[in-house]
Amino acid sequence: MELSGMLFYLVSFLIMGGIYSVICLALNMQWGFGGLFNAGIAGFYAVGAYSAAIITSANSANHVGGFDLPIVVGLIVAGILSGIVGWAIARICVRLKADYLAMASIGIAEIIRLAVINEEWLTNGSLGVSRIPRPLEDFFTGRESELVFFIFVWIIVAITFWVAHRLYKSPWGRVMRAIRDNEAAAESVGKDVQSFRIQSFVIGAIFMGVAGALSAHYFKFFSPDATEPLLITFLAWVMLIAGGSGNNKGAVAGALIIWAIWSMTEIITQQLPPDWATRSSYIRMLLIGLFLQFVLQRFRAGLFPEKAPKLNVKSHG
Amino acid sequence: MKKPILAVALSALLAAQAGFAAAEDVKVGTVMGITGPLANFIPPILNAAKLAEADVNAGGGILGGGKFELVVADGQAAAQPSVDAATKLVNLENVAAVMGALSSGATIAAANAVTIPNGVLQVSPTATSPAMTDMDDGDFLYRIVPSDNYQGEVLARIVLDEGINKVAVAYVNNDYGVGIAGTFKENFEKLGGTITGYEKHEDKKNSYRGELATLANGDPEALVLIAYAGGSGAKIVKQSLEAGLFDRFIGTDGLRDDLLIEQVGAEALATSFFSAPTSPAENPAGDALHKRFDEVYGEGSDKPFVDQSYDATMLIALAIEKAGSTDRTAIKDALRFVANAPGEIVGPGEWEKAVKLLAEGKDINYEGAAGSHEFDDNGDVAGFIGKFVVEGDSYKQIAIFE
Repeated sequence: MELSGMLFYLVSFLIMGGIYSVICLALNMQWGFGGLFNAGIAGFYAVGAYSAAIITSANSANHVGGFDLPIVVGLIVAGILSGIVGWAIARICVRLKADYLAMASIGIAEIIRLAVINEEWLTNGSLGVSRIPRPLEDFFTGRESELVFFIFVWIIVAITFWVAHRLYKSPWGRVMRAIRDNEAAAESVGKDVQSFRIQSFVIGAIFMGVAGALSAHYFKFFSPDATEPLLITFLAWVMLIAGGSGNNKGAVAGALIIWAIWSMTEIITQQLPPDWATRSSYIRMLLIGLFLQFVLQRFRAGLFPEKAPKLNVKSHG
Repeated sequence: MKKPILAVALSALLAAQAGFAAAEDVKVGTVMGITGPLANFIPPILNAAKLAEADVNAGGGILGGGKFELVVADGQAAAQPSVDAATKLVNLENVAAVMGALSSGATIAAANAVTIPNGVLQVSPTATSPAMTDMDDGDFLYRIVPSDNYQGEVLARIVLDEGINKVAVAYVNNDYGVGIAGTFKENFEKLGGTITGYEKHEDKKNSYRGELATLANGDPEALVLIAYAGGSGAKIVKQSLEAGLFDRFIGTDGLRDDLLIEQVGAEALATSFFSAPTSPAENPAGDALHKRFDEVYGEGSDKPFVDQSYDATMLIALAIEKAGSTDRTAIKDALRFVANAPGEIVGPGEWEKAVKLLAEGKDINYEGAAGSHEFDDNGDVAGFIGKFVVEGDSYKQIAIFE
């Protein structure tokens, strides 16, 4: 194993880990802050990915656009469109209780998936959108482009983290926690519960869309099979619960640790005899499951439990 | 005391490295959707790749007696895990080249995110997406199945050859139907044919009478039907016959299913014909490979993509042997040399002969079990499309088109 190989595995690992961190932070804004059970993450991720793909790719006869616009524009539009979809859903569903919201959001994600597959004029259907650019592609090629993209992803992670951190510490964050922990009490002191919930849902949806956009740029191609709920929705939930919902550092740590387990178990199972190749992949899935069980049993509140900031009230006297 | 130990350790290390250089072992990675939606297809496909690995090692090894080793990674037939699998193969296992992935989405994502930036040759045995043709891949990405577009293009020629100039087209709304129908329409019209109706439909409905009534307008001579027999295909044929709208059908490999004859009857299909990817007309090497495959693994040589998996692995091995080292760029540059004409023809199971020819400095041309694999500038192959008619309760190939 050569050193540069290790380094570039790490880069590639951290790109995927960074994208999952953004999803996980976004889910934390919805579930960790506000107790909103979103089971349709893959839908928002898809909206963001396709928006960015269509905005930034070169003109194509296969789908609407592409508009060949800068990547930053793509990211912003991805966030806005995903946020609008989130707003529309929140308007209808957010009054629902947690379990009903989960069901409704699964349904919405499925509707988005079917729309993506069937509306060929928009997304090129199951054939996908290709020729999606990456930042600074003209100046960096080969392995350098991996490094550039790695930096790009982690700048976005940093921005997302900063936003999440500010929101959590702000009065807004306190209201969200109050709503999460006791809705009736929050309402009784005059907080507009529904409006706060919609805000939380929309902000989370925006960053889920941004994460989708990052994936589209990373793969430089996006087709419906990249929106597999198991790999987006389910994994993001596991990451947040394992990392510690309500804690932003926990969200990032959870994303990286679970993705490490997901990715690195294969390095172990690859050492098994080659005749075991088919079986070892299933053994790996078993290992992942076992480890998750361990984390979830051993650390009930996640590896980094929520620590609400102390109220900065000066005592008089 | 410290110095001698260090010296011994150093010399041991050097010796180990020298030994490594003498008989170079070569690792090739393969990204397969072992778990995930394609799991059922994988065992025979993986066995075929292993058979190629065994053939190389039994035939004297690679790069002067080195061991040829296949490292299998699970891409789960989806983009994210395939990228992850490929990056581990390329960066940690340090493989010389990558065989895979299977589905187009996984293949393109792994290529864009891993093999192309790292400069590693990737050969997919099965990806058929037209998007791969004009990818900016620095010549690192190849596939050994024709693009979906190709069957549509050949079908247009087959239909015109038959003397049919006016057709209606019905196709199923997925990547298969849309891809083939689009190229068929384009080529058929370019070659002077007329398309009177062009309708897509959803799979697995109960009635297609509405679509068929529209398609029958304009007096078409036959219905070109791009669909799966088990999905919408057989129903459409049946309902057309019942309503007397069409009596002649032209289908692709999805429709060319024994199920169709069972449901409709051979008589009703007497004037219909079908296209499907096929192997070269005379292919003793392919037959021998199938026999050997069944001897080693018990069964499965007739399963989909067994031939392609073997050929892709063998082509990579030959390219490495030709390159003379595990230098990744040299391997990429060698692939066309060993795969394309001119050159002395070698086939499956002829590893020893190929190595000997390469050692003598001769040009070789691998003709595989799945086709002759002549890569064009885009890293695509043309392949063979057969024309089939119904005979008894099955199909008979009556012509091969290229």
